[in-house]
Amino acid sequence: MTTCDDVLAKLLLAGKLDADAAAHVSACPHCTAEQGRVRRVAALLASDHVPAASPALSARVVGAATPLLARQARRAAWRTLARALAAALVPLPLIVFLDFHLVRTAYGVLNTLLPGPLSFYVAFNYVATLAVLFALSYGMIPIVAERQMRLRREECRA
Amino acid sequence: MATDEDLITAVANGDGRALEELCRRYERGLHQFIFRHTGGRDVDDLYQETWLRVVRAARRFDPRRRFSTWLFQIAVNLCRDWHRRPPPEPVDPASVEGNRADVPATVDAALDARRLLAALPEAQRSVVILRYYHDLGEDEVAEIVGCPKGTVKSRLHHAMARLTRLARQ
Repeated sequence: MTTCDDVLAKLLLAGKLDADAAAHVSACPHCTAEQGRVRRVAALLASDHVPAASPALSARVVGAATPLLARQARRAAWRTLARALAAALVPLPLIVFLDFHLVRTAYGVLNTLLPGPLSFYVAFNYVATLAVLFALSYGMIPIVAERQMRLRREECRA
Repeated sequence: MATDEDLITAVANGDGRALEELCRRYERGLHQFIFRHTGGRDVDDLYQETWLRVVRAARRFDPRRRFSTWLFQIAVNLCRDWHRRPPPEPVDPASVEGNRADVPATVDAALDARRLLAALPEAQRSVVILRYYHDLGEDEVAEIVGCPKGTVKSRLHHAMARLTRLARQ
């Protein structure tokens, strides 16, 4: 690319020249000869008026995209749920391991203080309560994930 | 106000309203780009296909990039494919000439501009439209058309040489 090319490109794109470019044009016979033609091309290009898009076009696009969007929404919901479940399942072995040891120790201690069937009943009740709490916590994950996605969507809209 | 990048993330999660908002923001620019690129043929179909590709690829969008650059990249690729298709059935010239008698001067000038653009090879036309009509910088045009900045400059130069030659005729 020569200076002449740059100057003529500037003339085409901006329609006017800065002081340096104008000085170049007045000193350069090639640019002096070309500038009239470039201005004519610029004027021709500027005369091109594109008709406005039909008002129904965007509605048509959104209509055509609706099945795709529904699929994206389903996939996004599954991804969020899978991520939440994965995050919740990672500490599960450790929690189970700790609880198992806690119950075994508590059962041992209770056995020395209470009769066998009674200490078994207490330990069993504790385990059953823990199991119910676990089930409730993990059952809440899809509900919380869905709520989070809805909030994120609303935030984005706002 | 949500940025374009926020909106495309929402589109990736299936949000129809985010798509409507993006369509509203880019309707004019994108429609004009496609119209000029194809000379007004199949504009609505290409416009719709551009947005459908945007929706399909929304999850792959890199939020560090500008959405507008990505959108025009998709449109340029679609227009490129469109130009590679076999030409449509020839139109009866008599019907065209018959209509030209009552065409106003402004429409005539617009047709001249379109004829000039149509005379350019596809790669040069993209550069001229993006640089001249959309006022984009060389870097952004280079990213959209997928070539180095120097190539954008030389394409513009060659396009200009061709256009001045055509304007002389």
